[in-house]
Amino acid sequence: MTTVANTPRLAAQGVSKAFAGHAAIRDVSFAVAEHEFVAVLGPSGAGKTTLFRCMTGLLAPDDGTVRIDGEEIGSLHGRARRRVAVVFQQFNLVNRLNALENVLAGRLGHVAAWRGWLRRFSRSDRLIALECLERVGLLDQALQRADTLSGGQQQRVAIARALAQRPVLIVADEPVASLDPNASVGVLELLRGIVRTEGVGVVCSLHQVHLARAYADRIVGLSQGRVAIDMPTAHFDEAAFDNLYGNASAP
Amino acid sequence: MVSRAEQALDDMDRMRRGFTARRIRLWIVCAVVLAFYVVSWDLAGIDLQKLAVGLPKLGHWIATAWPPKVDEIPLFAYRTAETVAMAAIGTTLATLLALPMAILASRNITPWPSLYYPARWFLNALRGIDSFVFALLFVAAVGLGPFAGVLGIALHTWGSAAKFFADHIENANLGPFEAVRTTGAGHFTAIAYALVPDVLPVLLSTTLFWWEFNVRASTVLGVVGAGGIGQELKNSMDLLDFARLFTIIAVILVVVTVLDQLSGWLRRKLV
Repeated sequence: MTTVANTPRLAAQGVSKAFAGHAAIRDVSFAVAEHEFVAVLGPSGAGKTTLFRCMTGLLAPDDGTVRIDGEEIGSLHGRARRRVAVVFQQFNLVNRLNALENVLAGRLGHVAAWRGWLRRFSRSDRLIALECLERVGLLDQALQRADTLSGGQQQRVAIARALAQRPVLIVADEPVASLDPNASVGVLELLRGIVRTEGVGVVCSLHQVHLARAYADRIVGLSQGRVAIDMPTAHFDEAAFDNLYGNASAP
Repeated sequence: MVSRAEQALDDMDRMRRGFTARRIRLWIVCAVVLAFYVVSWDLAGIDLQKLAVGLPKLGHWIATAWPPKVDEIPLFAYRTAETVAMAAIGTTLATLLALPMAILASRNITPWPSLYYPARWFLNALRGIDSFVFALLFVAAVGLGPFAGVLGIALHTWGSAAKFFADHIENANLGPFEAVRTTGAGHFTAIAYALVPDVLPVLLSTTLFWWEFNVRASTVLGVVGAGGIGQELKNSMDLLDFARLFTIIAVILVVVTVLDQLSGWLRRKLV
């Protein structure tokens, strides 16, 4: 693994987690640098969900550490959680709010609590939110209710919400699993563009190997809870594919 | 030659004819249900003889109810307005109190899980005691008048409303709530931002429903001296003034029907 001069955006070191004695992930280590798009691949049951829950602080690992910009994720409480933005498979927008209000949710870690209660934001926060919507190409839909948008548009709003957090890392958990191929490509293009222009790292789990190949800088492959491969996308070949998916099908 | 299906049918028939344990159980259940109704009939003091004597009396009263007491309608209207106002204030108060209680009593979002069961028990106690009983207590505590009725309505509706909201929240999709949490928002901010917009239309529409229900229910609160039209109702009954009584009932029916329509229309707008 190459070491980067700067602190990596995400550094997982020897992360293990077991449920009722059954190990879901074992000794997982990898890093995501600034301006890096890392795709996490692996067959179902390889431990992707557990790993992602550990990376977002929703689950505490039994062993090992997850560091965000050098700080351990367990120490990120309350507002500090804004540094990791999450993009979900099911978008998780508030259906009855419009696109802008959903993006403004990304500002909640920055503003006083009463603003969230009353949904009253300052001019500068609203401007940030609109800029994020513009970034994802949905400025014209700002006042449209979330549940009237298409799946692809909803995921774009969710990405705009993530951007509005001003995160150092975006964790995207199967962001295109509920989208059609066209919308999937659009969402991944957008994520890659964000990685290039903003100072964030993106770690994104995917099911489709061809999408990982097309958009990721690096591919981390999980198999039976362990890191089976970790290589630049250019090196991901037939052998690596077999190594990853062949292992799982073996008894 | 017997086919397999015929064989199966014969087996089933034999099973049904046999005096099996299942049959005994069925008879026991029937006997218990029958006994329950026999005892209930006795306890409820059902006496058809009395009904046969009483019904003509009722018919006679209805006959004396004409002409209605038109001149007293302004008073009745005022008293009915009192009842409607009692129900409105009581229901609104209950809804406002129900919201924080509902959060406490929702297993999935309560910030203090150890308070979940106490909160549920408290709400069940409020729900289990009728507003009529609460009104009785408050008439003794704060004196005669509509305020005692308001408190009675508020307490009972608090329990019902909070339990209903909590059940609704427990079935809500928590995805948006979790998403808002990960932006760094606090627990209550996330509830206000992600859950309340989802729950609010249901909340408003059920509040309207309870208001309407409480108007109907609180016509009787006057009987214990807790204000409203019920007081006039009781006075008329005590004086055996049936023209007055039926005029009051007519006023109540008109108001309740109008409110039904109004709240139904508003609720359709909300959904």
